[in-house]
Amino acid sequence: MSDWKLKRQIVQVGAFLLVMVAVLSLYIAYLAVWEGQELAENPLNMRGAAAKADIRRGTIFDAHGRVLAQTQNDGTRTYPLGQVMAHITGYNGENIGSAGLEGHANRELLGLTADMSRLGPAAQLLQTDRGNDIKTTIEADAQQAAYDGLAGRKGAVVVLDADTGAVLAMVSAPAYDPNNVEDNWKAMSQEADGPLLNRTVQGLYPPGSTIKPMIADAALTDGVTNEQETFDCPGILDVGGGHSIRESHGEVHNRVDLRKALTESCNVTFGTLGMRLGDDKLKKAFIRFGFDQSIGGEIVMTSSHLPDFGNLGSGDQAQTAIGQSTLLVTPMHMALLASAFAHGGTVMKPYLVQEVITPGGLVVHKAIPEKWLTVTTEAMAAKIHSFMEDVVTKGTGKAAQVSGVEVAGKTGTAENPHGEDHAWFIGSAKLRNRNIAFAIIVENGGGGGKAAAPIARKIILSLQN
Amino acid sequence: MKNWGLLTAPLGIFLCGMSVLYLKMQGAMQKVTNTTLQDPLVYVPYLLAAAFLTIVIQMVVIKRHLDTFILPIILMLVSIGLVEIARLKPALLLRQMQWLCIAMLVMFIVIRLWPKIKRMLNYPYLLGIGCVFLLGLPLLFGTEIGGSKNWLVLGPVSLQPSEFGKIILLFFLASYLSDHRRVLTLPAHKFLFLRLPPLRFIAPLICIWGLAVLMFVVEKDLGSALLFFGMAVLMTYMATGSKSYVFLAMAFIGIAAAASYALFGHVRVRFDIWLDPWADPNGMAYQVVQSLFAIGTGGLWGTGFGFGHPGFIPEVHTDFIFSAIVEEMGLTAGIMLIICYALLFWRGIKGALKLKNASEALLMAGCGVLILLQMFIIIAGVTKFLPLTGITLPFVSYGGSSMVSSFILLAMLLSLTKEQKNV
Repeated sequence: MSDWKLKRQIVQVGAFLLVMVAVLSLYIAYLAVWEGQELAENPLNMRGAAAKADIRRGTIFDAHGRVLAQTQNDGTRTYPLGQVMAHITGYNGENIGSAGLEGHANRELLGLTADMSRLGPAAQLLQTDRGNDIKTTIEADAQQAAYDGLAGRKGAVVVLDADTGAVLAMVSAPAYDPNNVEDNWKAMSQEADGPLLNRTVQGLYPPGSTIKPMIADAALTDGVTNEQETFDCPGILDVGGGHSIRESHGEVHNRVDLRKALTESCNVTFGTLGMRLGDDKLKKAFIRFGFDQSIGGEIVMTSSHLPDFGNLGSGDQAQTAIGQSTLLVTPMHMALLASAFAHGGTVMKPYLVQEVITPGGLVVHKAIPEKWLTVTTEAMAAKIHSFMEDVVTKGTGKAAQVSGVEVAGKTGTAENPHGEDHAWFIGSAKLRNRNIAFAIIVENGGGGGKAAAPIARKIILSLQN
Repeated sequence: MKNWGLLTAPLGIFLCGMSVLYLKMQGAMQKVTNTTLQDPLVYVPYLLAAAFLTIVIQMVVIKRHLDTFILPIILMLVSIGLVEIARLKPALLLRQMQWLCIAMLVMFIVIRLWPKIKRMLNYPYLLGIGCVFLLGLPLLFGTEIGGSKNWLVLGPVSLQPSEFGKIILLFFLASYLSDHRRVLTLPAHKFLFLRLPPLRFIAPLICIWGLAVLMFVVEKDLGSALLFFGMAVLMTYMATGSKSYVFLAMAFIGIAAAASYALFGHVRVRFDIWLDPWADPNGMAYQVVQSLFAIGTGGLWGTGFGFGHPGFIPEVHTDFIFSAIVEEMGLTAGIMLIICYALLFWRGIKGALKLKNASEALLMAGCGVLILLQMFIIIAGVTKFLPLTGITLPFVSYGGSSMVSSFILLAMLLSLTKEQKNV
């Protein structure tokens, strides 16, 4: 065997191995580039989460710079106000997901501006190791007053700036402590109406009499009544089909006009108006006030549950007009309804994040108040507002009076299948520097004027100075 | 051509890499400790020692008219390996640099004593027995480390005999095959379409194949088994050019693989992981799946050195170092790494073609094949191209035995380039 044969065979083996290496290289390129995105985003790949864990989450502040959530030097996240702010801050846990601002403002808190993971090493130049801070619209004092006002009872409180839509307080009770939410996660997550439910935006309740300002608006707008007409209230209204609706506590209002009917929360009058309005006009009113809509973004409000308009009998029409029947609404929506009459007939879109501030102090995002809906005319809003002022000065909502402050409101006592009536109070107040609107519900609290209106008073006092 | 300039590239890579690590740590306001990063004073003496040895070796290389490209290429790989170990397991950097110095010292000695060492080629049967003895040691006295029973623990040091056994095997194959080239190609028996020589001539080869299978089954060391088997087949083909052997070997390994799949649980596990790692991504296939994630996350350019999370892969500093490099420095760095090996292989083959002596030519080509094949097997393993095997990436992975044996191979390759005059 000659020498050239050996050389040929060495070259053959060399070429074979180099081809194998080339195939392997192509395969790796296929893995890294074509399959790369899929592998990088695989839910089992912990690298994305780990990269985020390397970033120190920003701080969440209230409107005056009080810390609501911050990351300590050892990496733990603390919530100084605990349960009081639970549904504002929310939580963020590796195994339990996130909620509240920790979830909705996650990108801002981590300082992620865009997905730069595919930019390679250059992305590190743009990525900070400390996320942005968030300044919320929350007034910690009002939030605390609302939380204390509920005093351990189940319920929800929403306080808005009627002129801007800024959320000043948002309390849902019972609440969890975000500092140790993971400890009793299992029990909490199985409870459908437990502490994890944010009742302000996800809780659905019959509005009871608090819907009456809107019915008054609808009745006047659609001309089924006028301010001069008087209604005769014998304390009971026959709604046909052998059914009737009664006044609470067997009251008898005798002769009332619309203003007086609202002030005294007369079921007979509003039941009558409901039947006069009929399905179409009731439906139009609910749509005009946005009850068919939900809200997304940093406040995720579910839409209301409306009765089956078009198939209602006269009894259901009357029940709908006094906030019963199958009508279910969120406390947030009732606060928005109250804000409409305090703000000339327009509803501002609610928001929670006022500013996003970089660690260097630069404001990268500033909330701009935005109109959500125009629900009624300015004149009509002023008229209903003056009716609602009477509720507080001489009607069912006297417990909300604060000397020197113009307070308007409407009480509600909603019958429900879970026991004692839900106590409602919605309304607005003209403070020195702003115009607030609120909605308060105490589950199974009894009469709205007794159980809910005093909480409004506490909130107004906390915001007065 | 003296190529002194090429030697600055590895030094540059090392210094840049370490600077990035120090700067990153400064930014995070961490202190220099053993677990975060070594104090420079600790390893600089070894860096200087390695630099000194490099200069000495390169001077010898230039003086003897050996190939001056080979050392810079290898030092590129070594510096990437050192930087990556400093990033992954800072505490091990010092050990690795000590091993590097020892390895370079051994390399220097091998180059100096090459004329004497070369004479080993004259004693093929002694080499064969030595090889079997060395590989047999862990079968009898082996200790299981990291799932493979291929370690010998001698007091404070743990050795992998197979790392050195492969060099002896190389010598044996080169010497035996060059002696028996003619006999082995004699078509003594015809069996179907195969042309086979008398059994006594191919017995040593079958012995090697059997040893490889034994290593896999008993020591659970698939990497070395594959490497030994591949070496034996490729060297036999280089020497004889007989396709019958290749076919016979494939049939042999096919039967052995099927038999061990049926008989041994750990073999079945390995192959099942390879066929479908997604069946058990958090259990048996965890390493491979994490390695695939690392490569996918790295993409074309990587996450940036020091900014990835290669720590999710167990044993990342030894077998899986390639995945860590691709995660943080991208596909580009991975391909360049592979090109370095290919260049070294190219120089080796090119040199072998110039040698007149058949045994030396086989030895030299074998050195190149061994390094490239080892690289191929482990990179294919961590990328799920082949079943995962537990061998090191030569010159890059952490490991003393691997470092020393790789540098011995390098010294052999370098010494054999002697015939070339100023390439």
